[in-house]
Amino acid sequence: MFEKLAEVICNYVEVEKENIRPESRFMEDLGFTSFDFMSMLGELEEEFDIEIEQQEVSDIRTVQEAADYLEKLTAEQ
Amino acid sequence: MVCSTIREILVQAEKQFGAEDAIRYKLKKDVIGTKSYSDLKRDSESFSRVLESLGEQGNHIAVTGMTSYPWLVTYLGTVNCGSVAVPLDVSLPAEEMCELIDRADVTVLVVDEIRKDVAAVVKDRCPKLKHLISMQKEISDGESLSFWQLLGEHQGSCEYIPQADALCTIMFTSGTTGKSKGVMLTHRNLAENATCLDMKIPPRTVILSVLPIHHAYCLSMDILKGLSLGSIICINDSLLRVAKNIKLFKPNMILMVPLMIETMAKKLEEAGPIPKKLVKKMVFGDQFHTICSGGAYLPPAMIDLYESYGITIQQGYGMTECAPVISTNVSWNIRKDSVGQLLPNCEAKTVENELWVRGSSVMMGYYNMPEETKETLVDGWLRTGDLGYVDEDGFVYLTGRRKNLIITKNGENVSPEELENKIGEHRLVKEILVRESEGVIEAEIFPDEDYMKKKRIRDVKSALQEVIDTYNQGAPAYKKIYRLKVRDTEFPKTPSKKIKRY
Repeated sequence: MFEKLAEVICNYVEVEKENIRPESRFMEDLGFTSFDFMSMLGELEEEFDIEIEQQEVSDIRTVQEAADYLEKLTAEQ
Repeated sequence: MVCSTIREILVQAEKQFGAEDAIRYKLKKDVIGTKSYSDLKRDSESFSRVLESLGEQGNHIAVTGMTSYPWLVTYLGTVNCGSVAVPLDVSLPAEEMCELIDRADVTVLVVDEIRKDVAAVVKDRCPKLKHLISMQKEISDGESLSFWQLLGEHQGSCEYIPQADALCTIMFTSGTTGKSKGVMLTHRNLAENATCLDMKIPPRTVILSVLPIHHAYCLSMDILKGLSLGSIICINDSLLRVAKNIKLFKPNMILMVPLMIETMAKKLEEAGPIPKKLVKKMVFGDQFHTICSGGAYLPPAMIDLYESYGITIQQGYGMTECAPVISTNVSWNIRKDSVGQLLPNCEAKTVENELWVRGSSVMMGYYNMPEETKETLVDGWLRTGDLGYVDEDGFVYLTGRRKNLIITKNGENVSPEELENKIGEHRLVKEILVRESEGVIEAEIFPDEDYMKKKRIRDVKSALQEVIDTYNQGAPAYKKIYRLKVRDTEFPKTPSKKIKRY
């Protein structure tokens, strides 16, 4: 999941895939805006055929937290 | 046609467009539900009767939730029977929401089930609140009443005629001192703001509403203007799904804030060597032609970029206190460096470089805040707090800001003092300054060295980051701090010992 996520992240912000770490923070380290982040989750929602609630994702800070959250949703499928 | 009450807008639109779609929304994945102009009028009148039967007609009715058909019915049903609507930000922490409900003297709260946490505590925290109505509950129970059940039980018409200059809506906006202020708007304020300018938007234009509904810009321009023009208003169910919902609803027009415009621009630009016409078709669809931008500064380069894809951006300017639009560009007369021409119901002057405006959209004042009202309204003029001027053609140019507010790219106003006070409570923080930096909110902190020694804190940056993280956890997304700077000297001070901001 982390690998997949890192690939998608590169489509939203100017960062090399190798520089994305599990502890990288979306806003502080990777330069995401809140709307970039929402749009990316929307794309992943499509890709994995899952449903993400906007309210649930506001506390996600790091790439690992996002990967864990997506992992949980896909497992529930 | 200029309307002076919100009821006039709805009645006129229903007469002309009765059985045609007014609202489209997602029922479930890829399935669209619709409500006609007649549905909207009938259901909102039924909601007026609900308030009458509860003995709440004329009182203050709060509504909170994502944009939805029940939200719109609640709003229209409330204001059209002479009651006062209080739209609240669905993302506020429960504590803050309860405080606003209390301060606005709300007696009925209509709440989306996504805020069950608020529903659970609000009756205990807000003694003036008498009824709680759930937007989704099918049957009323001991906890709350069911919106749909009430509507079914009180079907019928409501012939109440609201007064144009009566209080209609209280909208909360960030105050510079940290305490949010309830902006009191009349029917005339909102209705004339939405209808006084003919933007030459044809009837049945498909609008996708993506901004938060508790903001005046969305309520006035998407909803009230949309209804007055006989538009089809499509509801975007989540900020995650803007791109997907564009494909589903096929809009002609979207009202956006600069942050969204910039993100969507990346989508357009990343497409590679494909003809621009095709790229636009892939991202927005063939039918799409206009974006209205407001809420914050938009770089003029964005207007050029979108134009090259055949999309017109019409930039405007306003504030909640002016219901909210003060000026806008129109498709046939765009000046990229200006926020457009004054609306026909608005005049402006400059006092010591600050823009002052007057007209039928200027608020009555701040609810229960006479001092703040006196500071902002002077002889009928609204002090905008923005620096700028109006040229001989009525085009408004903004040059800076006098008020101490951060206007984020998504159009939210954030008071630095509010955040400074909250974070400053921590003993590790001796001095703090909050400001905007490169599009995000930044905190610069001078730590308390005595406290560091006492607690044997070695890595002060990590310790302060923890303070910020704790604050961020309880804060709505737009108030989160994403950048931290640590100082090793005190901040320079003004003669009155305040931290110098600039």
